Amino acid sequence: MALSDKDFEQLRDFIYNLCGMYFHATKKYFLESRLTRRMEATGTKTCQDYYLLLKSPRGSEELKYLMDEITTNETYFFRNVPQLAALENKLLPEIVEVKNKMGFRKLRIWSAASSSGEEAYTMAMILLEKRATLLKDWIIEIVGTDINETVIAQAKEGVYNAYSVRNIPDLYKRKYIREDNGKFILAPEVKKFVTFSKLNLYEDSKMIFMKSFDFIFCANVLIYFDTASKSKVVQHFYNNLQPYGYFFVGQSESLHGVNDKFKTVHFPGGFGYKK
Amino acid sequence: MDRNLMMERAEILVGAVDDLPTIPVVATQVIQMLDNPDVSVEEIADLMLSDQVMTARVMKLINSPVYKPAQEITSLKRALVYLGLRHIRELALTTSVINAFDADSGAIELNAFWEHSFGVGMVSKVIARKVGYQDLEKAYISGIIHDLGEVFLSNYLREPFQEVLDKIKNHPIKLVDAEAEMLGTTHCEIGLCIARRWNFPEVYCEVISCHHHPAEATIDPVLCAIVNLADLFCTVRELNYGDRQWVSFNLNEEEAWAILKKESPALAQLDEERFCYELDDAVPDVKELVASIFNSTEQVKS
Repeated sequence: MALSDKDFEQLRDFIYNLCGMYFHATKKYFLESRLTRRMEATGTKTCQDYYLLLKSPRGSEELKYLMDEITTNETYFFRNVPQLAALENKLLPEIVEVKNKMGFRKLRIWSAASSSGEEAYTMAMILLEKRATLLKDWIIEIVGTDINETVIAQAKEGVYNAYSVRNIPDLYKRKYIREDNGKFILAPEVKKFVTFSKLNLYEDSKMIFMKSFDFIFCANVLIYFDTASKSKVVQHFYNNLQPYGYFFVGQSESLHGVNDKFKTVHFPGGFGYKK
Repeated sequence: MDRNLMMERAEILVGAVDDLPTIPVVATQVIQMLDNPDVSVEEIADLMLSDQVMTARVMKLINSPVYKPAQEITSLKRALVYLGLRHIRELALTTSVINAFDADSGAIELNAFWEHSFGVGMVSKVIARKVGYQDLEKAYISGIIHDLGEVFLSNYLREPFQEVLDKIKNHPIKLVDAEAEMLGTTHCEIGLCIARRWNFPEVYCEVISCHHHPAEATIDPVLCAIVNLADLFCTVRELNYGDRQWVSFNLNEEEAWAILKKESPALAQLDEERFCYELDDAVPDVKELVASIFNSTEQVKS
């Protein structure tokens, strides 16, 4: 089914306002194909009918199905390149300078919703590369948390498929990845910087103990939360950051209207939220 | 660095170039003609048609997403009527700037330069509309010509400028700051020298000179602030001279943001995340526009 520009914009705005995820024009075709599946499943004939269904009292349930169709759970190493470049070139040196002045040589990073560990290990590789220079004699702690124990077990194992590792720059791949029979095995020196544990972001009593992070990443998770929960979780992240820390969401996400304390800091190809 | 010293240095550098491009005679004549309140669209169209390249570019601009005519306009006369005499001056100015610098031999690829320039033009127009600025075309033109000085640096100071570009590659240093440090002047002062030589209206001279420091503007600080913000947003969203520029910013620390919020308090509610994503969506349009302007050799009916 071909989506008219008007229908696409209407749906894009609806999803954005509700979930904080923006569908770029380049993803119109993708949205079309996923929408077709949901229209078949719900027996709606036109895009307008489907839109009305989404807005009806039954809409919140249907939205969950739609979100399942339009978000992919895939994750891979070096996924958000602009974010990583900004971190490496600007934000990390900035925080290292602040902490050096305080004589506090410890860096704490949290991959909230770490899934099978690719994001946390990507950070570990980047920081490991700076052990001889910027981060000489620094203590590095990277924490990955997820609600799903199966993915935590995978993360701890540190064995990946070709898809996961396809974006790793050669420099890192040569040093930290060993191929064995089509499997890609992460070097122990990378693994030792990261600890994984189970955590539910809704659980306030546990969230308050996640303290003193310099960087927190939470990609492609908040889009599933309603505004009130989102606001609460983001406030936790805010509290869990050092006074100069940064919080990052996924590539097409937005926290607009969710929290007015964070300051949006733009950099080439992306933005982050500064405490 | 002292602004006066940078200005002196820019004068010396620009003065040392014998073959500084000029804007086409026709453009100068059109601009002069427009000073006559009784001039007719026919007279201007006849004069412009004597310069086919300019005519073709005017037509491309008119039919671009920026002006959005309901139907494609194919005759120059109709284009001029559609625009209104008021805007012809600006169109003549823009197309001549494009003409003056169309040799692709500098340190920056000309295409990347114009994509940034037209991107800033387009975003300036969007921001101008949001703040209720009265002259959207002026904002658009200002955006297009704001970095005039860069083309000079790229073409006539090729090697030292290449060193500036090499220095900032992958480093979080603003281009304008690196220029000041390494060249003793910046594209703002250089651009101003050129714009004065070309007799640009004062307001455009000010945009060229003050787009990195809008609070220093005296004629139209709001316009300078609009271009400043548009420049920042374009630089972080893929219209950044082919990845050559690094910028990082937080709106609340930008003087332009303060100027514009004073002008239009509702702007404080801007969804800047969405603004960025929408800008991403517009990038292919900008690239297409630039490609079409620079391949515009077809004949145009009078």
